[in-house]
Amino acid sequence: MPGAQLIMNFPVTATSHLLADYRARGGYETLRRVLTSMTPTEVTKEVTASGLLGHGGAAFPVGRKWAVVKLDDGQPHYLCANADEGEPGTFKDRWVLEHAPHLLIESMLIASYALQVRNAFVYIRGEFDLPYRRLEAAIEEAYAAGLLGERVVGTDFACDLVIYRGAGSYVCGEASGLITSIEGRKPYPRNRPPRLTVRGLYQRPTVINNVETLANVAGIIANGAEAFRKVGTAKSPGTQLVSISGHLVRPGVYEVEYGYPLAKFIYEDCGGVPGGLAVKCIVPGGISTKVLTGPELAPLTYDHASFAGAGSSLGSGGMIVIGDGTCMVRLLQVALRFYHHESCGQCTPCREGMGWMHRIIDRIVAGDGRPEDIDRLVAISRANDGTTICGMGDAAGYATIGIIDKFRDEFEYWIEHKRSKCDGVLEVGHA
Amino acid sequence: MPEIFINGRAIMAEDGQTVLEAARAHGIFIPYFCWHPSLSIAGNCRICVVEVEDPKGGGWMEIACNMPVAPGMRVNTDSEPVRARRKQTMELITLNHPVDCGVCDKAGECMLQDHHYAYNGAPSASRDPKVAATKFYPLSERITLDNERCIMCSRCVRFTREVSHSNGLGIESRGDHSLIRPSGDGAFGRDAYSDNVVDLCPVGALLSKSFQYKSRVWYLKPTPSVCPGCERGCTVQIWHRRAEWKLHRLDAKANASIDRVTPLENAAVNGPWICNKGRDLAQTFGRARAERPMLKGRPATAAEAIENARRLVAAARKPVALVSSWGSNEELAAFKAALGGRVTALVKTDCRPEPGEVVADALLIRADKNPNTAGARALFGIAPAVVPADADLVLVWGEGADFGAIPAGAKIVFLNAWLAPENGHADVFLPLSIQTERAGHYTNFAGTIGAFEACFARPAHALDAAAVFAALAGQTEVVA
Repeated sequence: MPGAQLIMNFPVTATSHLLADYRARGGYETLRRVLTSMTPTEVTKEVTASGLLGHGGAAFPVGRKWAVVKLDDGQPHYLCANADEGEPGTFKDRWVLEHAPHLLIESMLIASYALQVRNAFVYIRGEFDLPYRRLEAAIEEAYAAGLLGERVVGTDFACDLVIYRGAGSYVCGEASGLITSIEGRKPYPRNRPPRLTVRGLYQRPTVINNVETLANVAGIIANGAEAFRKVGTAKSPGTQLVSISGHLVRPGVYEVEYGYPLAKFIYEDCGGVPGGLAVKCIVPGGISTKVLTGPELAPLTYDHASFAGAGSSLGSGGMIVIGDGTCMVRLLQVALRFYHHESCGQCTPCREGMGWMHRIIDRIVAGDGRPEDIDRLVAISRANDGTTICGMGDAAGYATIGIIDKFRDEFEYWIEHKRSKCDGVLEVGHA
Repeated sequence: MPEIFINGRAIMAEDGQTVLEAARAHGIFIPYFCWHPSLSIAGNCRICVVEVEDPKGGGWMEIACNMPVAPGMRVNTDSEPVRARRKQTMELITLNHPVDCGVCDKAGECMLQDHHYAYNGAPSASRDPKVAATKFYPLSERITLDNERCIMCSRCVRFTREVSHSNGLGIESRGDHSLIRPSGDGAFGRDAYSDNVVDLCPVGALLSKSFQYKSRVWYLKPTPSVCPGCERGCTVQIWHRRAEWKLHRLDAKANASIDRVTPLENAAVNGPWICNKGRDLAQTFGRARAERPMLKGRPATAAEAIENARRLVAAARKPVALVSSWGSNEELAAFKAALGGRVTALVKTDCRPEPGEVVADALLIRADKNPNTAGARALFGIAPAVVPADADLVLVWGEGADFGAIPAGAKIVFLNAWLAPENGHADVFLPLSIQTERAGHYTNFAGTIGAFEACFARPAHALDAAAVFAALAGQTEVVA
């Protein structure tokens, strides 16, 4: 296992997701302690001290987000767990929802107490079936055990947890799109300002955190911020659930301690590419992060600073390993088809740009490309960088620029020869 | 009052203003499509981007419509990077827009056309086909939609949600396949303010069926006027053909027709909106006109008819007048000056709601369907328009009178602009001019006075009411 385990620290069995097993592991003890002996501000302070970063992709410090919510502003506050997990290649939150739903519920209750939230939401993507059923069953268990609703564990604290199922739109994973969807409207992301922690769901202060981010809260409060900071690196404390897929011997969800050597993780823990082929590149954290080539990734460690130094980011923890012989033109085509399909169409650069890029790459693949098309793809990507309401425009741009920067020769080859440079290279087989 | 700097110029902005509002208030131009002063901020077109200088050096781009002013903020609205970004945005906005200005009704008053020439002007950078979408989609019986021209600014959607509250429009699908569509319940068809979306549309996507392909807008001239449709008295612009673009092959009537009506923004009365009834003034004023003076249904000259009427008025012992609530303040004052001393004047309700018409609502439409009831009542009181049984002469001014309620023996002098069966029953009938043929003022229900100007020359057969009243009093000789 790649380093310390904070979330995946129990053996998965047929009953390990149930309340009884969770209690046997010490579950809900932290909640009882928080509600009986800590003030909301103390909880937020502890989370701030832990240095916990958001695990959804932007790595925003959780404590700073929580601190914006003023407890005495006389307004209702809302907490939403973002379980939309729509970033291609990402399926780590799914593990939490399937195997540790009570960890999420306990953590959300602690967060709700810290933020004085009466109604908390879990926005779960529509395609998630087992995770939804597991979470729903866990919430029922928690209500029956007096852990949710009025008088949580016998205290005056009251909190309801509602699951909201999405319908599979990528943009619902964007925080403001997500809450707009909960409000029952078309999930158009919102302009900032105002920030969602000032005016979010139903125009009230709202904290939206990724499932994995929230799942860390119970552990931080249980063991203290100091203990949490001992895991990982100074700038990136803790661990990251990495869902790794692609050309791999052992794909799956791994909990990786920040600072763990990346090459060791890919080649040893995950077994490398089947057949002993070289890694052509990796998509480090969801398709929206810039790809890293095999030689680039060799010296990296798995933490934010190391990846930022290589011009990429950890993103959502959805890593895709691409073995030698994979055609990057086709890969970009798939990515751009996805972005075109998922663009909500609200603001100009993304609405028009995604379709345009998709049409250009389709044309290149069809053999009708021109040399200037490559620069046009880059130009459209740049026109989307920082100009859109939400980050999706930027994301598509990063993916495109990342791939074209590093594999421009394949695009040029395809435009000139009307076929892939990788055709005839041994396709990756499974061992 | 934070002080901000736009293009180096110091400006005192209001608290809570956005950069776009502050710039507009000080006459600094920032382009926009989706923003509208009376609608919520959507921030989706991205053309209003400006450069914000970072005090630590450098700067960043931000949309002006959603950026609150902050003290000491330095903003550039027309720097090189801003123009480059706007060119990029225009390139994307016109990517799937057909740029078919040659056949588009909006051409000449189109924001996209203006901004395209200001910031881009180049042919499309794309050599891929544009996204094909619906043309001539009937949004309602009044409005047609060209989805290819639509730039998804969502102004029309926000209008039906925030102003008219019909919730009649929404956006279907997503990405560059997004389409403006009406709700399934037909609410947009019943929206009494639906035509405002045609003016709101910054491009030629939403078009009024009644105006489609009728005229290029630069052949038309807007004349400020007041809608007579109800006592709100919304200020409007009546668009008609410019004299210099007169078509000689058409008859005089066709050259003197109302091509369209748009709101004339007026914060005191109607804001930027008018209702659909106001858009249909061409129908209101296009009704068949009374063109001949008559004596008991027999055609007469104007001089003859007026002389007959004058004698009737002079001979009457108890003359009563039913005064028009469509008369202008000037005409009403002329009536009072000429005949007020001799004639008992009662204010008549000329028009009542048509079947199916929205009678009254919370936005603009008022139940009294006459433009100048308030002005008339100010002069003649609020007594009900019931003709006393001992009246021996009734002077009826305007339509809407119940001729059956006039005492049997009383003589009738009828002044009306419209062709009506009652015209021939009056002892004397005199045809009048209509609002578009004269200037004047109306006083609305709240006491606000609105001015209208003449759009067309008064035809030879139509008499000026004020002159007629003076002649009836024997003060002047009227010559029609």
